Amino acid sequence: MKTLPLARLIFGAAVIFFLIAPLIAILPLAFTDSVFLNYPIPAYSTRWFEELVTADVWRRSIVNSLIIGLGTTLLATLLGTVSALGLREKRLSLLLATIKTLFLLPLVVPAVVLGVGMQLMFAQYSLTNSYIGVIVAHTVVAVPFVVVNVLAALQGIDRRLEQAAASLGASPTTVLRKVTLPLALPGILSGAVFAFATSLDEVVLTLFVAGPNQRTLARQMFSTIRENISPAIAAVAFVFILGTILLALIMRFARGMRQGQA
Amino acid sequence: MSNPFIRLEGVTKSFGALTVVEGLDLEIERGEFVSLLGPSGSGKTTILMMLAGFENPTSGTIWADGKRIDGLPPHKRNMGVVFQNYALFPHMTVSENIGFPLKMRGAARAETAERVKKALDMVQMDALSDRRPSQLSGGQQQRVALARALIFEPEVVLMDEPLGALDKQLREQMQLDIRELHRRLGLTIVFVTHDQSEALTMSDRIAIFNRGKIEQIGGPAEIYDHPNTRFVAEFIGETNLVNGPIRKSDGGTARVELAGGQEIMVESSQDYAPDERVCLSIRPERIKLRPAAGPANTLRATVSDIVYHGDHLRLLLSCEGASFVAKTDRSAQPPAVGAAVDLSFQPADCWVIRQ
Amino acid sequence: MKPRYGRLVPLLLVAPLLLFLVVFFAMPLATMMKSAVSDPVAARALPETASAVAGWDNSSPPTTEMQAALANDIRQIEDDQLFGDLVRRLNSAKSGFRTLMGKTRTAVKENADNADLVGIDKRWADPAYWRAVSVAAASSITDRNLLAAVDLQRDASGEIEALPAGASANRAIMLRTFLMALTVTIACALIGLPYAMIAASVDGWKRQLLLGAVLLPLWTSLLVRTAAWFILLQDRGLINSALMQLGIVSAPLPLIFNRVGVVIAMTHVLLPFMVLPIFSVLIGIPRNLMPAAASLGAHPLRAFFHVLLPLSLRGVVSGSLLVFMTALGYYITPALIGGAKDQMISSVIAYYATGAANWGMAGALGLVLLVATMILYAIYLRLSSEREARA
Repeated sequence: MKTLPLARLIFGAAVIFFLIAPLIAILPLAFTDSVFLNYPIPAYSTRWFEELVTADVWRRSIVNSLIIGLGTTLLATLLGTVSALGLREKRLSLLLATIKTLFLLPLVVPAVVLGVGMQLMFAQYSLTNSYIGVIVAHTVVAVPFVVVNVLAALQGIDRRLEQAAASLGASPTTVLRKVTLPLALPGILSGAVFAFATSLDEVVLTLFVAGPNQRTLARQMFSTIRENISPAIAAVAFVFILGTILLALIMRFARGMRQGQA
Repeated sequence: MSNPFIRLEGVTKSFGALTVVEGLDLEIERGEFVSLLGPSGSGKTTILMMLAGFENPTSGTIWADGKRIDGLPPHKRNMGVVFQNYALFPHMTVSENIGFPLKMRGAARAETAERVKKALDMVQMDALSDRRPSQLSGGQQQRVALARALIFEPEVVLMDEPLGALDKQLREQMQLDIRELHRRLGLTIVFVTHDQSEALTMSDRIAIFNRGKIEQIGGPAEIYDHPNTRFVAEFIGETNLVNGPIRKSDGGTARVELAGGQEIMVESSQDYAPDERVCLSIRPERIKLRPAAGPANTLRATVSDIVYHGDHLRLLLSCEGASFVAKTDRSAQPPAVGAAVDLSFQPADCWVIRQ
Repeated sequence: MKPRYGRLVPLLLVAPLLLFLVVFFAMPLATMMKSAVSDPVAARALPETASAVAGWDNSSPPTTEMQAALANDIRQIEDDQLFGDLVRRLNSAKSGFRTLMGKTRTAVKENADNADLVGIDKRWADPAYWRAVSVAAASSITDRNLLAAVDLQRDASGEIEALPAGASANRAIMLRTFLMALTVTIACALIGLPYAMIAASVDGWKRQLLLGAVLLPLWTSLLVRTAAWFILLQDRGLINSALMQLGIVSAPLPLIFNRVGVVIAMTHVLLPFMVLPIFSVLIGIPRNLMPAAASLGAHPLRAFFHVLLPLSLRGVVSGSLLVFMTALGYYITPALIGGAKDQMISSVIAYYATGAANWGMAGALGLVLLVATMILYAIYLRLSSEREARA
């Protein structure tokens, strides 16, 4: 479409503005000295970042998020990677194709529906109000990301590399260890990052399954926005957005390095 | 052929309803260079995959050095494999790639280093030992793949179109290199290719594959000069095929009648039934553009096209009921398009294919 | 190339995750569905009554045995929680039970021999109350919640009828959920289609920028994005202060705690799900198709309407399904940005589950949402597998 270049430019810029501006607009508010989240900012300070690390509710929620996030990442990466190895054939049997579809369903089922079910069932087995219950709940919604990422990496591996290794004397487990897993590592790592990010951002299941002792950062943000909004939210948002950009840059850089090699 | 090194007996391979290899028998001697040649989908690569152990035959048996190997996993077969895209491990250096099979066999570090160095020397890659495969050219990757497949001194090396990705000049150089390695190391090589000239240059024997079966197996000259079937005649080199009934045959010669009524004399020691329909294969380079002297066949034809090929010319000639392609060198002045010429060929240059 | 290991190995590899998801994903959903249709409280609280009413004809006055059994059952209930659940269960079948049961419980507790329920309250002479008790005690399965989820109930004779107007708002909430999801989907399509077309038509840094602008919000925490909109849309937030500074408005526009704010925020959150599928369809279209159409004599606009638009439509359909499906079950954004009148079905489910502890209703509404989502997902899968088959 070579028509209307100006209209295209304006439209494109407007949408980019709509997508990005809200994220940028709240960044300066993290440094406000006031208790209100308004512009203009009367004076700058880092008091809200200090609040995050000193105030008990925030500090505990950060620690909880790290514990639960790491637990989820470990469990989801392990389960997801192993099952992706079973699903890597391009032409799956009907049974395996069905199983693969089932593995992606947690992304589709509305979180509230799953949350109600989990609360009911977990209560029967005393899993509510426990770390393990929250980790398990987060893993259910995080594991599809691992499966998808690892599967994509595995399907990108030339099967002849594994055949070559076998012909050179590597047993199936050695092929897995020396060839398949090293080559799938980028996919496994990005799956793990997705799993951690999913856990970090999970609110709904946490609302239903976690007790007051497992209050995560996301859960704490949710109730802060809902009950008494404070610039601490902007401080958390600042950290999150910065972290996202950094991570995106690292992943881009890593991909660039790999392509540079290839 | 009482005790061949490799023997395939009645090997059949099916993928679901599709049969790729059907009831195949093949024997390969120790130290032999055998090419499996055929169009894509003819089953030649599947044979290689079954020899390497990546596929198992649906039925039939495979023997190597007197031991049955079908069902044996690839890592226990001790066969070197060179793949079309080289299949070098992208996450390892050249040295690590070449050292991989020794590491798998638990060789000591010092010994590995020494043998890797020797292997690098052999393929003239010693300067690039710390590079990654992605930093190498196609020909360099090919040489690393070769070194890797040879370093553990396998008795059999399987090659799956290893030169397919190289340009023409490099390909011809590598053909000579591989042939030289074959002689020097006394290797048994099974070489899959769809390039007939490659097969003719390199092989001791060539097996021509068609639709999962071997159409013909034999030395390059035998395959080229005496094709058993029309398929082989057409697949190996270029040829003129003409059909007609046998009119006369007596100990050593026969006469075949063409559609235009001309009779062609052929040398053939076989016995034919009267009027048996046969196919004649006459190679283009055997056809001369002058009236024959002696007991040769001469046909009157018109030149319908001339195609320039650099080192030679190809003439499309049509005569009554048949058309021929002739190759001429460029020393003689070619006739003009539309000119009438006499084409001739010796009875010994006509090969009879029975149907 | 088939690997050497047999067919069993892939199944063994997927088994751990399969087991994990069956236990922690399928079973919770099954539990939720069961809670939607199960109602064991009456059967648990009234065991004697259940057997006493078994032979009753559902219309004659209650026998003394029935009265004695019920009186005894009520006397036996020590747990106030159980009694409360029972009353709620009976009251939902027929109103009046709340006072009736309270009065009866006090009476039978005071006098351990009192078995004359009609003497305690003459409503016990009415077979309608006994029918409610009988139905509740006889079965632990009920369609009451499922019917109530779509604003239906069973009348005294067991026929399905509409709930009286004003008694429940579930249909209105479903309609609202549907309309809001539809609005967001249309908004996303209107913005997403031209945006994806622009992104597909340029390359180099321009494409990187256009795609990065979509990916960055997608990767950013949902809560952060919602918080950003919460802050921006406030009466004294950036948008309103800017508008007032510029003199465009004199009083702050109501942007938060209403439908407008929710739609804006949800469009922002879900736009990537529209842009990315359309973009992936568009870059699959050969670049020279438009020049080809032009070389065949098509005017650029005609070429656009006859070539590019129909081809990108498949992307729009998958994107729309994805956005609509996700929007239907949205909870966080409406919960934080919306007012009481903008709550979607997920908020209602959450209210029933955590606020009212009415698991039956939460389950029933959850089932409705689940079924709707699964149908949409099935269509989506069907469309994308067709595309794969064609590709």
